Amino acid sequence: MKALLRAELIKLRTTRTFVVLTAAALAISLLVVLLTTTLQDEWTKDDARDLFATDFTGLFILLLGVMGMAGEWRHRTITSTVLAAPRRLRLLGAKTISYAVAGIAISLIVTVAIMAIGTMILSARDLPTLGLGDLVDGLWRNLVVAAYLGAFGVCIGGLIRNQIVAIVGLLLMTFAIEPALIGLASEVGKFGPTVGAPNGFIGLEDVFGEGEEQLTPAVALLVMIGWVGLAFAAAAARLERRDLV
Amino acid sequence: MPVVEIRDLHKRFGKVEAVKGLSFEIEAGRVTGFLGPNGAGKSTTLRALLGLVRPTAGTATFGGRLYHQLDRPSAQVGAVLEDAAFHPGRTGRNHLRVLAAAGEHPEARVDEVLSTVGLSDAANRRVKGYSMGMRQRLAIAAALLGDPEVLILDEPTNGLDPPGISWMRGLLREQAGKGRAVLVSSHLLAEVAQSVDDVVIISHGELRGQGTLEQVLGGDDGPATEVRTPDPEQLAQALERRGYTVEREGDVLLVLGASPEQVGPIAAEEQVTILGLAPKMRSLEAAFFALTDDGS
Repeated sequence: MKALLRAELIKLRTTRTFVVLTAAALAISLLVVLLTTTLQDEWTKDDARDLFATDFTGLFILLLGVMGMAGEWRHRTITSTVLAAPRRLRLLGAKTISYAVAGIAISLIVTVAIMAIGTMILSARDLPTLGLGDLVDGLWRNLVVAAYLGAFGVCIGGLIRNQIVAIVGLLLMTFAIEPALIGLASEVGKFGPTVGAPNGFIGLEDVFGEGEEQLTPAVALLVMIGWVGLAFAAAAARLERRDLV
Repeated sequence: MPVVEIRDLHKRFGKVEAVKGLSFEIEAGRVTGFLGPNGAGKSTTLRALLGLVRPTAGTATFGGRLYHQLDRPSAQVGAVLEDAAFHPGRTGRNHLRVLAAAGEHPEARVDEVLSTVGLSDAANRRVKGYSMGMRQRLAIAAALLGDPEVLILDEPTNGLDPPGISWMRGLLREQAGKGRAVLVSSHLLAEVAQSVDDVVIISHGELRGQGTLEQVLGGDDGPATEVRTPDPEQLAQALERRGYTVEREGDVLLVLGASPEQVGPIAAEEQVTILGLAPKMRSLEAAFFALTDDGS
C-alpha cells in the first residue's frame, strides 16, 4: 500500500493538473476575499467565518479526484496502472487516500492564504475579524471537508468511466440538484454529498434558509463518511468486475 | 513446470466467444511466437493471462499462480500491450518513475531501462511529443523495469522503423538467452519467423497449431528433404524402392516423408554423389494460412 501511495503521489506531482487546479482555486478564492473585504462595509464575525469557509477549493478538489480516476480511462493508462498494481481494491484505496491528501494540501494553501490576506484587510479597515482560535477551527474543518471531497471525487471517477459525464454530473449535483433540494426540501437536502453534509460540518449558515436546520458537525461527519464509504464500495465493485479490453 | 500455462481457457463477451478452450504452454529460455489473424483471440488471451480480463472458464497462470497472486508481479512479468498508452503531459522518465514506485523497483532502474531502449535523450520530454516508435520503446522500457523472468509482448514492432525492428529482434533473443520466457504476438509473419523458437497459432479462439518452428513449418505431411545430385534418376529409384514419394525437377529431388538424416545414408548406400541436402519447409506464411484457413 505504501508503494502504491507513493506512485499515486508521483502521478499527482508530475502533471500540470494539480498545479493548475490549485492555482485556479487560489486565484478565485483570493479574488472573492479581496472584493468582499474591501467593498463590504457592514461586517460581522459570522461574515468573516462564512467568507473563510467558502474558500472555493471544494469544487476544484472534487474535480481533481474525478480526473485522477476517470482520467485513467480517458488516457487509457488504466491498463499499465492495473498491471503494476493488479489488486484493484488496493489500487482504488491508494488512489482514494492520495487524493484525500491532495485535497488537504490544496485546501491548506488556499485557506491559509485567504485567512491571512482577509484578516490583514479587515484589521486595516478596523472591521471585526476572527481570533486565532476561530481561524484554527475554520482551518481544520476546511481540511476535513477537502479530504472528503478528494476521496469522494476518486470514487465517482471510479463509478463513472467517462470523465466528461462524471464532471458534468458533479457540477449539476453541486450547483443545481442539491441547492434545489435544500430549497425545496431541506430535511433531505441537508444530507447531500457535495453541499448539504460538507456545509453542515463547516457550519456554513448562508446555504440554508432562515430557520432551516442543518446537520450538526458530528452528524455531518458521519454522513460524509457514509457517502464516501458507499461510493468507494460501488466503485470497488465496478472496478473489480470490469474487463480491461 | 512450464513458465506460462494456459489451460482450457474460455472467454465470452456477451454473445461472442472470443477464446474457446485454448491450451498451451511456454518454456523458459525460448521465444514463442503467438500468431493468429485479426480477431483470433490473441489479445484477449494475453489480457486474461495478465489478469486484465476475467476468464469465463479455465486458467492462465505463471508457474501455477494467477498474475495478481504473484509477489511483486512486475518484477516477474513484463508486458507490452498493443494499445500501450501514457498520460500525454507526463515525461517518459516520470512515467517510469510512477511504475518503479508502484512495483517497488529501485529508481536507478529508470535510467538503466531508458538507456537500454535508447530513450535517454528524450527522457525529460512530455510523451505527447513522442513518435509512435518512441512510445513503443517507452512501453518496452516499462516492461523491462522489473528485470522480469517472463516477457509478454503484443505486436511489439508496431511503430518501429527497420533499425528498431532489428533492435527488437536482438532484444528478444538476448532475453531468451538469459533464460527468460518470451511470448510475442505479431501479425508480421516474416518478422516472427526470424525471431522465434516456438510457435502457437490460433484462429477463431481455438488452437490450430503448436510446436517448434521446424515442426510447424514441416506441416502435416511429415518432413520433406530437397536433395541435389548429378545422378537424380538413380537416387530417385532407390528412394522409391524404399517407399518414399519423390518429385523430380532437373538435378533436384524433393523427397516427401523423409528427413535429411534418412536420405543421406540411402545415397551413401547407393554410392550416389550428393551436391546439396536440406530440409524443405513451408514458409511460415503458408503454414499460417494452412492452419487458420484464412488464406483466401
